[in-house]
Amino acid sequence: MTRPAAVIAGLGSCLPLRRITNADLVQEGLNTSDEWIRTRTGIRARYRVAPGVGTADLAVAAGRAALHSAGRTTAACVLVATTTPDRPCPATAPEVAARLGLSGTPAFDLAAVCSGFLYAAQVASALLTSGTFDSALVVGAETYSAIVDPQDRDTAVIFGDGAGAVLLERGTTADPGAFIRFDLGSDGTHSDLIEIPSGGSRRPRRHGDTSEADHFFRMRGREVYGQAVLRMTASARTVLSRAQWPAATVEAFIGHQANQRILDAVAQRLLLPPERCHGNLRHVGNTAAASIPLAMADAAACHLVGPGARTLLTAFGGGLTWGSAALTWPAATAFHLPPEPRPPQGEQHE
Amino acid sequence: MSAGPVPIGVLGTGTYLPPTVVTNEEIAALTGTSARWIEERTGIRRRRRALPGQASSDLAAAAVQAALTDARLDVGDLDLVVLATSTPDELGPSTACRVQSLLGADRAVAFDVSAACSGWLFGARVAVDWLRAETGARYAAVVGVETYSPFVDASDRATAVLFGDGAAATVLGPVATGGFGRIRLGSDGTRADQVLIPAGGSRIPATGRTVAGKDHRIHMQGRQLASFVNGVFPSLIGSALDDAALGLSDIDLVVAHQPNPAMLRDVARRCGVLPRQLVVAGRDVGNIGAASMPFALAQAARAGRTTPGARVLTLAFGAGLTWGSTVLTWAAPAATAPGGPVAAQRPLEAPIPRATP
Repeated sequence: MTRPAAVIAGLGSCLPLRRITNADLVQEGLNTSDEWIRTRTGIRARYRVAPGVGTADLAVAAGRAALHSAGRTTAACVLVATTTPDRPCPATAPEVAARLGLSGTPAFDLAAVCSGFLYAAQVASALLTSGTFDSALVVGAETYSAIVDPQDRDTAVIFGDGAGAVLLERGTTADPGAFIRFDLGSDGTHSDLIEIPSGGSRRPRRHGDTSEADHFFRMRGREVYGQAVLRMTASARTVLSRAQWPAATVEAFIGHQANQRILDAVAQRLLLPPERCHGNLRHVGNTAAASIPLAMADAAACHLVGPGARTLLTAFGGGLTWGSAALTWPAATAFHLPPEPRPPQGEQHE
Repeated sequence: MSAGPVPIGVLGTGTYLPPTVVTNEEIAALTGTSARWIEERTGIRRRRRALPGQASSDLAAAAVQAALTDARLDVGDLDLVVLATSTPDELGPSTACRVQSLLGADRAVAFDVSAACSGWLFGARVAVDWLRAETGARYAAVVGVETYSPFVDASDRATAVLFGDGAAATVLGPVATGGFGRIRLGSDGTRADQVLIPAGGSRIPATGRTVAGKDHRIHMQGRQLASFVNGVFPSLIGSALDDAALGLSDIDLVVAHQPNPAMLRDVARRCGVLPRQLVVAGRDVGNIGAASMPFALAQAARAGRTTPGARVLTLAFGAGLTWGSTVLTWAAPAATAPGGPVAAQRPLEAPIPRATP
């Protein structure tokens, strides 16, 4: 039986121009090696913005690409999922909307760390299926280079900057690109596994503050690995059961591009063969809330999955948060654009 | 089941204010003005300040607990925790996850929304649609919270007189009749720089220089914002009334974002809102951002002004710029809900939550 559903009508992505290889990191003075990074993480390169470029610049480009991909010029609302907004206040989404020529459109940010895109996708689905909006531009965008300690080997090798976006429209579960079911979860009791300790209301930045390391992103790698495999596997099973899809019928699997060993462990537990697992981790690293739409856009641009194919997405992130979605592969071809520089204030009208 | 969306309304409200009171005398001494000038210009007499180490999640958790008590619901009943703030505990994890953990709301999906002083209304929009779309989901906590004090320059008269710390929460769920009407939202990012915390995000990451340069403090262009408020207030009232097919005289209460009592009274009067309709809640708390609107709603409920069937025109506006409005018809909860609002009996302040390690 078909139901109303949010349907992916367009896919877009954006990567900064500066590609940083593993060898570049070693040359910058990080005590590591290409081999160590590749064998532990599967990552060969990541992208980094130039100084002064913010998350909005990536989000605008990915959002514009998604609109192009769908053949649209407007969206009825704009959601930006990010852990690295341009400023603590105001939200990044209103600026993104304005720079896309959508001044007036409802726009807000959503924070759920690396699960942010799937959280925003379910929020947008609710906004569409309940009849509030006809369409929603959902962007996952991150500039982790702003919060990663360049000297921290455990995180500096992993994270990259980037953005991915989808334009969602109200359709039915029969349409290619339709979100069929979601499963989201949160567990704040493990909030210390992944955190940026300083800079918010708990530990504000103060003049003369010398504990610079607290301003950076921190992750307890081994415990994160265990939790990620556990939560992603369980959530994927839950959403498949809700969709009444046997795991063997899943034609495309895209997990949060965190670490190849996590992705392999999850796929193995779900009995998903490697040829059905898609991702771009080796080329872009972990782009947090951007990783799933960025990987989807890459797979769509390469026509790796046929429209309508049963697709499983699963994510895990700080919070803890996790989530999964069962959807069918969209018919749209993805577009890619470079970051759009921020125009001076007062000259943003299009 | 009847046609049309399931009515979702407010089942309970709750607030939490941190213990430290900051008087106008204290602010006046630091900003080179007088207590009397502050009260005359703003209508604010005092505001609250969080204790050192007390973060937004601590304030928010206490407010949600109070709202659950008001709604006669248990923390385990929550399916969703939506937290609106401009001053999260940290960039990550979300402050909502910390609240979930403080409360033990194990089943709830938790995330933050960022839409500045309009945040509670954006969060309410999300929660209402979530409860309608998700099979089995019944109850959502929507909480607005700010811990502005670390982000305010105590010597900056334009901001130090206005901003305070506090939290206010609502529990949303199914109601027999009434509830939220259409919630209309909007934004204008071309005016993002009119009120902002410039540094500490991805555009201008934190450095020793940004800290020394006070770039982590709220910067506000007062005159431009006043003009925004004076323009947006009447248009929000107009669109909410149009959507509900009502006239202003049909409205029992106008619950707006509370920039400060003086500005609120002035703009409301010019829109034809009568003093008996207007809820003014900023005198003792100042501008508490995303908490302002739900705080005013909780104050009205506590004062017995939200009788069943009362039509409450709610409107919010804030940094981004963002705005929104709706008509909320106050309702008794649906027959199947375990309890109902007990508006007049609730304490204003919940106990201070346990500190996180």
